[in-house]
Amino acid sequence: MNLHSPPLHPATQPGLAWYRVPEVWLIVVLLGATVIGSLSLVVTAVRRPDAHIAVPGDVRGRARFRRSRSSRHRCRRRPADAVVVARCFHCHEPVPAGVRLSARVGGGERPVCCIGCRAAAEWIDGLGLADYYRLRSEPAVPVEAAGAYEAWDRPQLARLHVRRLAHDRAEVVVLVEGLRCAACAWLIERALGAEPGVHEVGVNAAARRVVLAYDPERTQLSALLSALARLGYTPHPLTADAIDSLRQRETRDALKRLVVAGLGAMQAMMYAVALYAGVFDGIDPAVRDFFRWLGFLVATPVVLYSARPFFDGALREWRSRRLSMDTPVALAIGAIYLASLVETLRGGHEIYFDSVSMFVFFLLAGRMVEMRARHRAGDVVDALARLQPPLAERRGGEGFETVGVHELVPGDVVRVGAGAAIPADGVLAGPACRVDESLVSGESAARPRSPGEAVIAGSLVLDGPVEIRVERVGADTVLAGVVRLVTRAAGERPQLARLADARASRFVVRVLLLTVATATVWSLVDPARAFAAALAVLVVSCPCAFALAVPAALTRAVAVLAARGVLVVDADALEALATADRFVFDKTGTLAEPQFDLAASEVLRGSRDAAIAIAAALEQGSDHPLARAVRRAAGARALPPADELRHVGGAGVEGSIDGRRYRLGRAAFSLGDAAAGDDALVLSDADGVVARFALAEQPRSGAARLVQGLQQAGVVCEIVSGDAPARVEAMAARLGIEHWQAAAQPADKLARLGTLRAQGHRVAMVGDGVNDAPVLAGADVAVAIGEGAALAHAASGVLLPAERLDALLDARTIARQMLRTLRQNLNWALGYNLSVVPLAAFGLVPPWLAAIGMSASSVVVIVNSLRIGRAAPQPDAARRVVPVRTRERTA
Amino acid sequence: MNIILLLIPLSIALLALAVWAFFWAVNHAQFDDLDTPALSPLAEDRPPAAGSGR
Repeated sequence: MNLHSPPLHPATQPGLAWYRVPEVWLIVVLLGATVIGSLSLVVTAVRRPDAHIAVPGDVRGRARFRRSRSSRHRCRRRPADAVVVARCFHCHEPVPAGVRLSARVGGGERPVCCIGCRAAAEWIDGLGLADYYRLRSEPAVPVEAAGAYEAWDRPQLARLHVRRLAHDRAEVVVLVEGLRCAACAWLIERALGAEPGVHEVGVNAAARRVVLAYDPERTQLSALLSALARLGYTPHPLTADAIDSLRQRETRDALKRLVVAGLGAMQAMMYAVALYAGVFDGIDPAVRDFFRWLGFLVATPVVLYSARPFFDGALREWRSRRLSMDTPVALAIGAIYLASLVETLRGGHEIYFDSVSMFVFFLLAGRMVEMRARHRAGDVVDALARLQPPLAERRGGEGFETVGVHELVPGDVVRVGAGAAIPADGVLAGPACRVDESLVSGESAARPRSPGEAVIAGSLVLDGPVEIRVERVGADTVLAGVVRLVTRAAGERPQLARLADARASRFVVRVLLLTVATATVWSLVDPARAFAAALAVLVVSCPCAFALAVPAALTRAVAVLAARGVLVVDADALEALATADRFVFDKTGTLAEPQFDLAASEVLRGSRDAAIAIAAALEQGSDHPLARAVRRAAGARALPPADELRHVGGAGVEGSIDGRRYRLGRAAFSLGDAAAGDDALVLSDADGVVARFALAEQPRSGAARLVQGLQQAGVVCEIVSGDAPARVEAMAARLGIEHWQAAAQPADKLARLGTLRAQGHRVAMVGDGVNDAPVLAGADVAVAIGEGAALAHAASGVLLPAERLDALLDARTIARQMLRTLRQNLNWALGYNLSVVPLAAFGLVPPWLAAIGMSASSVVVIVNSLRIGRAAPQPDAARRVVPVRTRERTA
Repeated sequence: MNIILLLIPLSIALLALAVWAFFWAVNHAQFDDLDTPALSPLAEDRPPAAGSGR
């Protein structure tokens, strides 16, 4: 056998070497471009834009999300700050001026802000892990007082969360809060690995999960959890089935199938190039058959293993009598593969093992990209793990005992302390109280509840302790229902993708009919050419371009936005965002953030400075917007040390300073007087009011630029707020917004959205996500700010970084680009197929050209999608405004 | 040119080996987290000792 023996087919252009034929080089270039294009798309998707920002469904992650995005800005501010305040060595929060704590780390004294951080830093150093401070890219979370974890050792709880592998080996998966960067993962691995009885520690920083393998006879789960908490990471053990999570299996399978398809396609292409060369240069039939069988050899695993999901999907669709994308794809793959096999066996004209492998590879790459986006969106398990408390205090024979929530049965009576979450749906049995249901219903105002009234799991008790008689537990609770809804929404494919699927499947069905027609007609006219012509139709008509048109554009847009700090939860939101012509803003927390109006504050006892210092000391370590406003107001004043700090969810904070107990919050909380109506913050002690701080508002950073940008683009902005008319009007005037509505309840807001939509507007609602959840759900596209509650965020489609409201402008630009690109892609796929398929049906397209056409049409789609985000304003443009905003903020 | 009769089977064997190695890696969690392991070479593996900070 000799490839370069004199041509045995003198008819095929003797003397013309294959490398002198331009078409051969065209094939080579196109194949190369195809591989490079699709690889770059895969790389875009695989690069994990979420590794350094929190994913939706992460309550505390919101705060981190905001903070991590803001770290850049903070660096710019730091020089000014550093002169005034020292920063905690561990968490980088400013050290309150009165605090003189330091930790011995690396042989030197380092300032720290609180006892928790000192303990964490010294322990880390004691373990010899001080490298952490060098490796980390994000500061740590301030360490809070560690909770009690003994209850996790109860056998009933352990059965649910711990998997026993052997008598001396157990495994548990823990979701940890505060895992910010890879250095945290490193720290946890080392610190827990040093604990006695721990076999193995696996940390996945992207998923924020720690897998612990330990010896249950030598250590207790509670000891490991306490160790995590001491390091500053709040642990939430997950149920045992999380160990082989569905998601992990799905990701691994997809990766394997993709790589098999990719390698197979590359090999098949190599053999195909030899065969193409043979067409021009002449080739010994024995050599030709040898290469064909090689193609068969590498294409077989691609079709039988990598393409399995398509065949499975087609079978499912067939059983449920429903036609989607999988059926035509599976038919096309099967037909091309079998036809090529038949041609190989009988030594026919052309084979397409390379085309079919490439086709499978492209489709799998598209699916992979889609799956990544879906996984990033739906981290609902994490949200649930945080919302529902894992433990409850149940009334037993003598007093109360701590039990796991799953042990509760209807009829049990549980006690819930002030500021704690209610473990199960039930009715209030104890004293009247107020509850904060914002996590579930989105209603931020505290709701009074009297004995006999219903309360729902996941809501916070504001004043307690109260007793609750359990009525519904586990999957029957309202919370579980909401989570199910969210999960289902996250699992569904985007509307756009479904539409494209439907379009593509109609198209492919027609192509299949046309193929059959071609084969029939040719077998009447010239049976020898029937098979080749039918095959050319099948190959040249590329459903690949259709199948990739939408996911390629969507994914590219989502990835570009994630790199700019905008998280797209729901891909449909992008389409709505691009087409929205009305933007409705909530005011408080969205366009504006609270600020102290010192001139209007009154101090009844003591000096103003002292009162502000006390207030700031009470609020240190809290992330609430009001707390930040208090700290800003205190500026560089020396803060007295405060201890016994206790945060009461949604109400305020109390603590003691110099032996006096103080409360800071709305009048209802600090005076215990529910009647007081104004929204000033009141500082009180045992003798009554100390000071009353009036609140003013300032526009959030980027709000003015956002409104201006939107109005320039011809979008009408309006404010719908629950606040008083005078303040809404002032803010509207300041931002240049004409339309506003004040004193609106959530129902009024919904009605306003309904009116606008009835008038034919596409409405985007921008809210802060905590109290706007129902309203957000009523808009065409909901945009939430990256702080607030997990389930409220679930109602929104787009999450903005809190520090840069104007990122919404970028998001809108990119969404519009995405939509334009997507239309181009679909039109291209349609135009290409309409022009080429008829030619193929008449037998005018030689098979090698069909293969080129198929690859080229996909390459065009992918390259076109990669253009998204190229021309859009770079993040630098937004960042240049930072110094201005900083001044605005500290003013 | 007869060398291809040796080289092609060889390349296929290598391909099979590569696929097997990749599967092994995926099944052993090598691709689950691509960020954290990048840090381990930066860290010192010394036992607890004073002055390892800077």
